[in-house]
Amino acid sequence: MTIDLLRPTRRQLIKTAALGGVATIAMPAYLRAQTPAIKVGIIQPVTGALAQDGEFGRLGAEIALNEINAAGGIKSMGGAKLEMVFGDARSNPEAGTQEVEKLQAEGVCAIVGGFASPICLATTQAAARYNLPYIVDVGVSDQIVSRGLTNTFRFAPGFGMVTGVALDNLVKLNDAAGKPAKTVVLVHEDGLFGSGLAKLMQTELPKRGFEILETIAHPTPARDMSNVALRIRSLNPDLVIPSSYYGEFVLLARTMQQQRIRPKGIYAVLNGAASNYRFVKEFPEAAANVMDCNHWYDPRNTKAQELKKQVEAQGKVFAYNVPLNYSCVKLLADAIERAGSADRAKVTEALASSTFKDHIMPYGATKFVNGQNTGAAPVNTQVQNGDIKVIFPDAFADAKPVFPVQG
Amino acid sequence: MTGRALLPILLAAILIGAIPLFVTANTVLNFLVFTLIIALAAQGWNILGGYGGQFSFGHAAFFGTGAYAAAILQTRFGINAWAAFCLGIAAGAAIGWIIGYLSFRSGLRGSYFALVTLAFAEVFRILANASAVTGGAAGLLVKLDVRPENFQFSSRAVFVWIALALVVAVLVLTAWIERSRFGAQLVAVRENEGAARALGVDALRVKLLAIALSGGVTAAAGALYVQYFLYIDATIAYGTWISVEALLAPIIGGAGTVLGPLVGAVTLHGLGEITKTLAGRVPGIDLVAFGALLIVAVAFAPDGIIGLARRLRARIGRGGGA
Repeated sequence: MTIDLLRPTRRQLIKTAALGGVATIAMPAYLRAQTPAIKVGIIQPVTGALAQDGEFGRLGAEIALNEINAAGGIKSMGGAKLEMVFGDARSNPEAGTQEVEKLQAEGVCAIVGGFASPICLATTQAAARYNLPYIVDVGVSDQIVSRGLTNTFRFAPGFGMVTGVALDNLVKLNDAAGKPAKTVVLVHEDGLFGSGLAKLMQTELPKRGFEILETIAHPTPARDMSNVALRIRSLNPDLVIPSSYYGEFVLLARTMQQQRIRPKGIYAVLNGAASNYRFVKEFPEAAANVMDCNHWYDPRNTKAQELKKQVEAQGKVFAYNVPLNYSCVKLLADAIERAGSADRAKVTEALASSTFKDHIMPYGATKFVNGQNTGAAPVNTQVQNGDIKVIFPDAFADAKPVFPVQG
Repeated sequence: MTGRALLPILLAAILIGAIPLFVTANTVLNFLVFTLIIALAAQGWNILGGYGGQFSFGHAAFFGTGAYAAAILQTRFGINAWAAFCLGIAAGAAIGWIIGYLSFRSGLRGSYFALVTLAFAEVFRILANASAVTGGAAGLLVKLDVRPENFQFSSRAVFVWIALALVVAVLVLTAWIERSRFGAQLVAVRENEGAARALGVDALRVKLLAIALSGGVTAAAGALYVQYFLYIDATIAYGTWISVEALLAPIIGGAGTVLGPLVGAVTLHGLGEITKTLAGRVPGIDLVAFGALLIVAVAFAPDGIIGLARRLRARIGRGGGA
């Protein structure tokens, strides 16, 4: 009978399980060496669909914390060191909320991170229950800072700000080149970024003298972009404006290159790949001359250049999440320094009145209004000669735009 | 219903209900609320899939409808959160009935029914993602206003008790179904629809009632999700994750048993959480445990934990199987 057959196996199984259990229980004892320090919560999605971005964010935060500690910690608190308590948001809001509860139980004085908008919406709200200061690193949805949560601060620009700048710069770019671009095809993923952006472009572009030939939506993940590329070929637009995540845009750009579809420009907004060194390195020809309006570091800042070298020396990619999280952690450390305390109310107050300038983003001095840093701004980048250059605004630019692209 | 049937339910209720009295750590309470929401969604699946044998791969359709109905009624029409919650359940039941009517009337069974439910959930996801009333891809945010009349509580313990009350209500409902004429007919349809028809069972009516009940229960889980997290978007509401969760918990715990979904949800999520706490430095370790448990369950307990317990008890009853 099956039951008799099962018996020895099950006994072995229990034995193995018991051994495994003992091993796992014994492990954390030495992993969690206790040092008197200020605990800082870092939340990033390092498993699931957003794992790549989560790892970039964690890296930036880690480097900043190590740097602050190596430079003598928080001086106003007798050189107290900052200790990272990490939470994996697993690419979904429930797990993010659970991690906030965990970090709260661990007694962190503030949290930095979140990455995706749905995660940020849930985590900031969970943190608000404990008046726990929360610095959002990326999360562009403007709902994040429109709920009146006093604990929530967003250092980077939101959706409205990025798209506004993107439209203005597109017009500026086109005008400067003698208005070569008149027709546009929008390609967007059907999620939060893509759909919202496409809707906005559909209303705003015609007002600025562009004609939209077609709007093409695709799901994430998509494994084949041939149909989208063929449609673009038959429409033959001057401009392609894609808003997709990493994998899909890479696929589209490669397909367009293979099919020799060469519009006068590819102008991306908040794109997952267009300003990512991995894409530029792996597919230099497909990436050539692609423009993006996105988060980016200040290329003229020497500290940013050093950080980039440091990250690349580790064999890692210097994505925008790295300098952004690096700056967010520095912003928090500055607030703790000025508060002279890890008390949450004092840290929140110090953040709200922050004029932090020592970051590596192309922003001016920090100034929070209703939790949004009004000093923040996106920049326009363009892939030129295998590198990602800033083309707008002029104050931070390290290259001139190449437009229209000569096919 | 006999006391014997209600005793395990009462025990489970007391056991879980007492946790917030002794544990104040919100980490535990938050975990408990989420697990109970999953258990509730799984209980919905169990009525249709476990007892009725109609395997649905798209219970997200009901979860999402409950969630969106509760959220939209509150944010767009200013309806009281409690009333919106109840209407969300009704909307889930109605969608269940409609999907059931369309697919059962066409005689869809087995894998065809599973595929149709999957398709419905996907269609709903795409519609919710594109439509303005659901907030499109940006989702819907329920205003944070912590007052009991808004179905928002400052203490997570209250949510544990509300979720538990719903789970217990469905446990009682399921126990009643198991012993009722309707339940017997449902099981008869599961085992052999042709034979059940020959005995005079109106198979369509029985299946429709089951899918409406199932939809209502899973919609309650969705509405509760919204009240708890106060945010919903198309991927959360109609994503495949919840269809899979709703299906896995009963399969692990024991499909077609009263306590199966609850046991399954607690085991799956409990194990995941424990592994994560103990070996938290390795990202994704809880998912590995999740997968391992699934393999072990399918290999050694094809009728779930409850089934395994029953088999063990039967062996001990026979004299210890020496």
